[in-house]
Amino acid sequence: MTRHLPQIIVIIGFAISFVIGSGLLTPATISTAHALTAEEMLADPALESRARNLSKQLRCLVCQNQSIDDSDADLAKDLRREVRTQLVAGQTDAAILSDLRAKYGDYVLLAPPLARDTMALWLAPVGFILLGIAITLGMRRRAVQIDSADNNISADNSISSADRARIDALKRQHENLNKRDTR
Amino acid sequence: MSRFRPSFFIPLIAFLGLAIIGGMALQSTLSGNRNPSQLPSVLIGKAAPDVALPLLQDRQAELALGNFQGQPLLVNFFASWCAPCRAEAPALEQLSEQITIIGIAYKDRRSDTTEFLQQYGNPFTAIGMDIDGRAGIAWGVYGVPETYLIDTAGRIQWRHAGPLTRDVITTQLLPQMAEMQ
Repeated sequence: MTRHLPQIIVIIGFAISFVIGSGLLTPATISTAHALTAEEMLADPALESRARNLSKQLRCLVCQNQSIDDSDADLAKDLRREVRTQLVAGQTDAAILSDLRAKYGDYVLLAPPLARDTMALWLAPVGFILLGIAITLGMRRRAVQIDSADNNISADNSISSADRARIDALKRQHENLNKRDTR
Repeated sequence: MSRFRPSFFIPLIAFLGLAIIGGMALQSTLSGNRNPSQLPSVLIGKAAPDVALPLLQDRQAELALGNFQGQPLLVNFFASWCAPCRAEAPALEQLSEQITIIGIAYKDRRSDTTEFLQQYGNPFTAIGMDIDGRAGIAWGVYGVPETYLIDTAGRIQWRHAGPLTRDVITTQLLPQMAEMQ
């Protein structure tokens, strides 16, 4: 168990940074200032919460990496109003998103849709995780091979006792050298 | 120790690969082929949105693009508060000799628009008032000025976000207009 401690720490570190990076924690822990003003809000709380949810998925096109929910830009305000007008008119969430997508393109969605030309973007993280696992497994297997090669020598009966004594002497010498190196 | 290890070169090769990709992206940005703030328009080839807008000169009358069908049109979103719109005014004036230009005043007051046209010239055959920016959203406008070229069937053939510079007119707009004839 203690032998694997460094690996475990690294894995936990990756897990924590993944959770933070993916924004799973942010809504609860970090409160952001909202650009939404009171007069924009809809009276119906169910519709309003759908409007907020949609606004978080839509990019403000003039500030590029903010959602229209976060942005104070005029265009973001107009788009928030457009979302609410369509909600009041009885449109579904999917219909509103696809309507804005038809006017402004995929770019208006903060999460790019899974399509042929965005495949690399979506699959790259999975690829990197698999690559990391492959490298880790490869390194472990090599360590195991060196270990078992050592064991094979000690179990081999065809080695004479004189040779065995020489092997042991060399091993001790090697260990002493290692100790001196680490000091 | 002196054994040749190919894996030793993996970081170097990975770095060179990234450096080449980054260098190519930078090169194309610097040479002007790729402008990250310029979004591709998805409306090209589609029918121009027909949002009814009140006219500048007459509140009761509406601007209908359908009235102009059968001729190519240039639709220009502008505003009196927009500095690049002033810069492109002379270019529009010149273009108005070759093509009918429809102006849409985006989020502007009537009095300000009128004053702007008196000062910088009026190249427009008709002017619609998009006071709350709703028509802008229908057209996918994200900032003025934006200009759309509409073909004789009422479809959007070309779009440019930003002022019409001499370069944009000669290398893009005029060839597109010639293609339509």
